[in-house]
Amino acid sequence: MKKFSGTEPKAQHKGASDGATAVQERETTKLVGQSIPRVDAIDKVLGKTQYPGDLSRPDMVFMKVLLARRPHARIKKIDSSATLATPGVMAVFTASDVPCNEYGLIEPDQPVLCGDVVRYIGDKVALVIAQNEHAAIIGRERLVVDYEDLPAITDPRRALDSSALILHAAKKTNLLAQRRIRKGNIESGFTKADVIVESEYVTPHQEHAYLQPEAGLAYLDEQGRVVIETAAQWSHDDRHQIAHALGLPQDQVRVIYTYGGGAFGGKEDVSIQIVLALAAWKLRKPVKLIWDRDESIIGHHKRHPYIIKAKWGATRDGKLTAIQMDLLSDAGAYASSSREVLNNATAMCTGPYECENVWVDSRAVYTNNPTCGAFRGFGAPQVEFAAEMQMNKLAEALDMDSVELRKKNLWRNGSIQATGAPVPEPVGVIKVLEAAARAAAWPVKKSSSKRLETKKRGFGVACGFKNVGYGFGFDEKCTVTLELHGRSEIEKVVVRAGASDAGQGAHTILTQFVADALDVPLEKIQLVTGDTSEADPVGSCSASRLAFMLGQAVRGAAELAKEKWRTQSERPVKATYRFKPRPTTPLDPETGRGDPAISYCYAAQIAEVEVDTATGQVTVLKLISAHDVGKAVNPQQLIGQIEGGAAQGLGWATVEHFVMKDGFVMTPNFTLYLIPTVLDVPEIMNTVVLEDPDPQGPQGARGVGEMGLIPAAPALVAAVHDATGVWFDQLPLTPERVLKGLQSVP
Amino acid sequence: MGHKIQLTINGNSAEYEVEPRMLLVHFLRDHVSLTGTHIGCETGICGACTVLLNGEAIKSCMIFAVQADGAEIITIEGLAKDEKLHAVQEGFWEHHGLQCGYCTPGMIISGVQLLKRNSDPSDEEIRHGLVGNLCRCTGYQHIVEAVRYAAKKTNEAATKEG
Repeated sequence: MKKFSGTEPKAQHKGASDGATAVQERETTKLVGQSIPRVDAIDKVLGKTQYPGDLSRPDMVFMKVLLARRPHARIKKIDSSATLATPGVMAVFTASDVPCNEYGLIEPDQPVLCGDVVRYIGDKVALVIAQNEHAAIIGRERLVVDYEDLPAITDPRRALDSSALILHAAKKTNLLAQRRIRKGNIESGFTKADVIVESEYVTPHQEHAYLQPEAGLAYLDEQGRVVIETAAQWSHDDRHQIAHALGLPQDQVRVIYTYGGGAFGGKEDVSIQIVLALAAWKLRKPVKLIWDRDESIIGHHKRHPYIIKAKWGATRDGKLTAIQMDLLSDAGAYASSSREVLNNATAMCTGPYECENVWVDSRAVYTNNPTCGAFRGFGAPQVEFAAEMQMNKLAEALDMDSVELRKKNLWRNGSIQATGAPVPEPVGVIKVLEAAARAAAWPVKKSSSKRLETKKRGFGVACGFKNVGYGFGFDEKCTVTLELHGRSEIEKVVVRAGASDAGQGAHTILTQFVADALDVPLEKIQLVTGDTSEADPVGSCSASRLAFMLGQAVRGAAELAKEKWRTQSERPVKATYRFKPRPTTPLDPETGRGDPAISYCYAAQIAEVEVDTATGQVTVLKLISAHDVGKAVNPQQLIGQIEGGAAQGLGWATVEHFVMKDGFVMTPNFTLYLIPTVLDVPEIMNTVVLEDPDPQGPQGARGVGEMGLIPAAPALVAAVHDATGVWFDQLPLTPERVLKGLQSVP
Repeated sequence: MGHKIQLTINGNSAEYEVEPRMLLVHFLRDHVSLTGTHIGCETGICGACTVLLNGEAIKSCMIFAVQADGAEIITIEGLAKDEKLHAVQEGFWEHHGLQCGYCTPGMIISGVQLLKRNSDPSDEEIRHGLVGNLCRCTGYQHIVEAVRYAAKKTNEAATKEG
């Protein structure tokens, strides 16, 4: 067995089974393109990695947060006398203790601690700090909050009724955002259509269910700065939001990220960071907080439920003539990134298909349901579920093969998006569909060897695409500093890049780019990523963007650093580079015209399912995923991203049933909210990786973090239809729902 | 009042005094500072807190520390010997059986137990052996490969020695 000191690079990886298109083993000394082991793997298999909940400091005290646990109410009075009389309790903080009581990822419309009104069950009302966690829990139980319950808006369809209470008085409406696309002439588009398919799709909340619940430790450092050690997705933005709420200059706040136990978008918003900082700042003591699973599920944002009305028309020979979409998004109680998710949903709701006539109306509304925000895919999974369902239904209506129908309409080089902008080239979506179809030997004949009469098998296909980076005119903010130490030879490279690694492997990829750009071995590279006072801002770990942006920023910084190394005698050499991808623009509010995306990445998936018609159970037997990644920077990690994303997409479509009732979450733990186990994922996941270089990406790389999730649900539902003849327009396909659907067919 | 218990943790025997309601997982993390055993759900579902108790993989959030009195416990920190990874640990490293790594210690412990019970498991048997451990990152394929690798490696080593 091997010693675990050192992480020598090696080029082993399991590739795709489709040898013709798979990533080939490389004869190169370059590390980009090789499956080098993760930089964090050794500590993780040894149990040495410190996650936020593992942190401690001498004389630290513990905090518990009182969540509202009611959907809409006025706070009349908070009585903390019994809490303060509890042995071990040191302090109670409420709204009046917060210097600037507001925060939010994009718009600060959320109170740090609610003073007058609570708008959803996860609103924070008070903080209890005690000598130990147990005393904090007892103290929290003894807080008496006198509420006056208010009518709650829990159906987004009712949020804009004239009788609905306005949840944010200053806004005078519950309409958080609306978008439109008006392209061509929708009426004439439907006139030209030989078939029209109309459906309403309902997609549910999804819980991120990262295995590490929110946790952190805050304290004052030797310079008197408030330090928050935690793990989330965007340290520099956390710092900004903490400083804003505490009324401190940014340099008085330090955010330090440890390795995080998963995020998937769910740690993009601030959860426990501000309240931890507040308590440490007020008490001048180290304060620790760990959320229970129940607090995590209630306390952090979710994937937006969408209600999507779709009407698509096509000619007899399968050419799309009209796409009309109406999107309604339940934003929950606060803005979070609902507008930005709606941007994505609006721009991407046609799927990667070209159509001359597009009409989209989309809205995000405030309700008293849990706040919704970022989750892997960021609006794309919901709308692309609808788009791919429409394509599969059109194929059925036209009696045409669904792959063939897609190929007649899919984007290609020169295609124009619904927003009027050309699709960034090269456009690889037809290639990925063909690769998936090849790997599945599409069209697949249904297996005749049914084990039981009640078990029916079927196959389904779907495409997917996702923008890389924020787009819509948003600033990418990706800066990297490289320091070269040594004299004549580079002895050490310090990389200052505030990149969060939530598990996806950003740090490993970062070292690969640095090693290649400077031609230095891995062991000379020292990463400084966690501390906002030491690392440059690179933007969030989200939007399938980090490999793309970091790679380009590293390459820019390396060029500058090498030049300085050659021409200057001063050591160490320090070079800072800010990568600016090509500009994008927001959508025009009236027409939706705009250039929303820097680049896109593409995928196609084919699912094989078995439906038990006696129980309604859907089992996914096999999933083929084909992805155009531009360049597989670390093939093994990349395949892990695709398979992990696919499992989340299949979970969203099957076992993950997030149940809401009157504004309450009925599934606040893993006993009730199920995520896929090893027996719920397909035994066969065949991943085909294509590399059609993106000229904008580092060495041609696109993004990959979100793609695996997107086509999974529509591919699965198409396979269930193939098996049973029934379309299911609402996710997830619980056994109850499937049985009911099967019974509705005569 | 505290209860006196005697435990052998990763080969080290000692007496401890614990509150009767203290869960074993909290004892391991907070009193012995073995934070490699993680808490993910507190309800016995996720398996992040899995340790070996007298050779059996158990979820340490489901028993009290006092119930473990007299037991021998192996946590993730006790698997590697003399700077050498256990074959299952090596498998997770080699086969990218982890991403965020939070489920990894529990997953590895369950892998160790399943190989102890069945040194040459089929893929299906590996899957059944890991069903009590949730992973949200990987989609499980690389985890199954990691355990398969460990089985092969262990059997090869046994053949050489035998």
